[in-house]
Amino acid sequence: MTPSERPKTGRPSVFHTSRRRFLATTAMGLVALSASGAHAKILFGTGLPWDSGAIEPPRQVLPGPWTFFTAREAEMVEAIAERLIPADDLSVSGKDAGCAVFIDRQLSGHYGSSERLYMKGPFQQGLPTQGDQSGLTPAVRYRQGLKALDEHCRRTMGGKSFTELSPEQKDQLLTAMEKDEVKFDGPVSAVSFFGQILKNTMEGFFADPVYGGNRDMVSWKMIGFPGTRYDYRDHVLKHNQKYTLPPVSIGGRSDWARKG
Amino acid sequence: MTRNRLAIAAAALLVSAAVPAILAVPARADDQDFSLIERGRYVATAADCVACHSVPGGKPYAGGTALQTPFGTLVAPNITPDRETGIGNWTEEDLRSTLRDGIGRGGKRLYPAMPYPAYTRMTDDDIHALWAYLRTLPPVSNAVEANQLPFPFNIRLLMAGWNLLNFEPERFKPDPQKSAEWNRGAYLVQALGHCGTCHTPKTMLGADDTDRALQGANLQAWYAPSITSDSRQGIGGWTADQLVAYLKTGVNHQSLASGPMAEEIQNSSSKMTDADLNAIATYLLDRKPPERTAPTALAADDARMKTGGAVYTDSCMACHGGDGKGQTFLFPTLADSGVVQADDPTTLIRLVLDGSRAVATGARPTGPAMPPLGWRLNDADVAAVVTYIRNSWSNAAPPVGADEVAKVRKALAQAD
Repeated sequence: MTPSERPKTGRPSVFHTSRRRFLATTAMGLVALSASGAHAKILFGTGLPWDSGAIEPPRQVLPGPWTFFTAREAEMVEAIAERLIPADDLSVSGKDAGCAVFIDRQLSGHYGSSERLYMKGPFQQGLPTQGDQSGLTPAVRYRQGLKALDEHCRRTMGGKSFTELSPEQKDQLLTAMEKDEVKFDGPVSAVSFFGQILKNTMEGFFADPVYGGNRDMVSWKMIGFPGTRYDYRDHVLKHNQKYTLPPVSIGGRSDWARKG
Repeated sequence: MTRNRLAIAAAALLVSAAVPAILAVPARADDQDFSLIERGRYVATAADCVACHSVPGGKPYAGGTALQTPFGTLVAPNITPDRETGIGNWTEEDLRSTLRDGIGRGGKRLYPAMPYPAYTRMTDDDIHALWAYLRTLPPVSNAVEANQLPFPFNIRLLMAGWNLLNFEPERFKPDPQKSAEWNRGAYLVQALGHCGTCHTPKTMLGADDTDRALQGANLQAWYAPSITSDSRQGIGGWTADQLVAYLKTGVNHQSLASGPMAEEIQNSSSKMTDADLNAIATYLLDRKPPERTAPTALAADDARMKTGGAVYTDSCMACHGGDGKGQTFLFPTLADSGVVQADDPTTLIRLVLDGSRAVATGARPTGPAMPPLGWRLNDADVAAVVTYIRNSWSNAAPPVGADEVAKVRKALAQAD
């Protein structure tokens, strides 16, 4: 792939940058080696490179206008998320946890365009263990899948759209999709669309709140996951005691994190 | 003057590849004496000439690092023996008056960013050796515009007045009451090492405030902490061996050098002899700290301490530990640290905002880095966590305000 063939996404790719950096570093190392013959050489300067601006921290996703979904699509995704993870005495629903916001931002980002995957043909039917092998990006799957779902409902549910169905009807339809008992028109099958949205809803529910879902770390509080803590030396020897530190997100927690 | 002419002629011949070496005029033994040149190399190392007179990755001593002073930008010139762009047509006397009087060849006044107020104390022997060494450097053609100061500071003659007010040419005077080791340390600290250039507070005119020598100073968005034997803000809690380890390897039981000190250790003190480092330790740890009453630590139920404690638990504790002890040789100890408790919290704030990489030396090659947290913490969060660190465990220091954090954040953004 020549540089001109590279998909133009309008956003700098993290991988391209770090790859270039990696190559530059390697080249420097080679120069250093060749300049000094067989002996390793200490690069003049202050040792290992350090550039505090080199990290690309994740930006806090804020609820707001949809970046990928149309209003209608968003409504449907929220309705599905609400059935996949219904509100109960353990947690709020997938919709209220922000799963649709999470999916929306993912679809308008590199995930939606499969930017980091090899996406040139030939596309062949692979084995189930090989995962998705089609040329359809997640963005296309959602666009086509939601369209097919809505059409399917209007055709088979007496003209009603998916969002107008009762909770029980929605569950029945989703269950049928999961069991591959529903036939969608278009390139995306009902069963694969169900698998896709179930997976993404769970990701939104359990991923760090910085990405738009898991609002207020609701799922982490539910299951007792401590979040972005990674050192437990102070607790290792405290046997049979409850771990009391609250979970913390990449963006912080309400005791100190910047608001809004 | 015959000697100098000969030396120049010899140097000129050496640089001319076209002339077979066999035709070169044999230089006088004393100028080309190997041990003299090696000694000069050591003087240049101890004086850390390379720090300013080179750019990272560039040819050593060919000039080029821009120094941001409160008065404007100065660039250290090319000091290789290149005749057009370096000091190839200088004499030893020119170097002597540069180092001792701040007056370069042709009466050109230097700015004290060149630490001649320290080098003025250098011995004749060291200057002679340094000259011999500098003559052996390969000449590099690299024209440097040294003076980039704005008007009126760009008028070099102003420095005549500055010198009148702030500068006394003087040689190092040993203290007969003290040991030879102590005096060697004093010479290294005051003259060659020019430690005060960073660690001594400056007057309004940018001169060393000698009454507060080595008590810590702010420059280029770093605070060079006190290196007196003050046990709270200085290095009084360190043993001589711990100080020597720091200077030699960049790492000791408590601290890891980064920022400008990392460069100093890499280029200079890690290459000095153990005897000289021990002498420095003997001298520095013998310097009486000024009388200071320690402030009372903030109460744990102070709102800033509570917020700061939450930030610390979530963002710092994984490496620096709940007890502030860190991990020896890897993560600095925050408890009882001089730089943590310094009156000026600039270094502490900048490390939280921007992170840093510790020096990597042969003995301690890891060079661990602290990640920047400025993207995750706002000014109030940083102020709170810094206040918390300064007032936890056995530490006590004045609280830090969000406005101070904003100032450092701005300075860092400008430096990028």
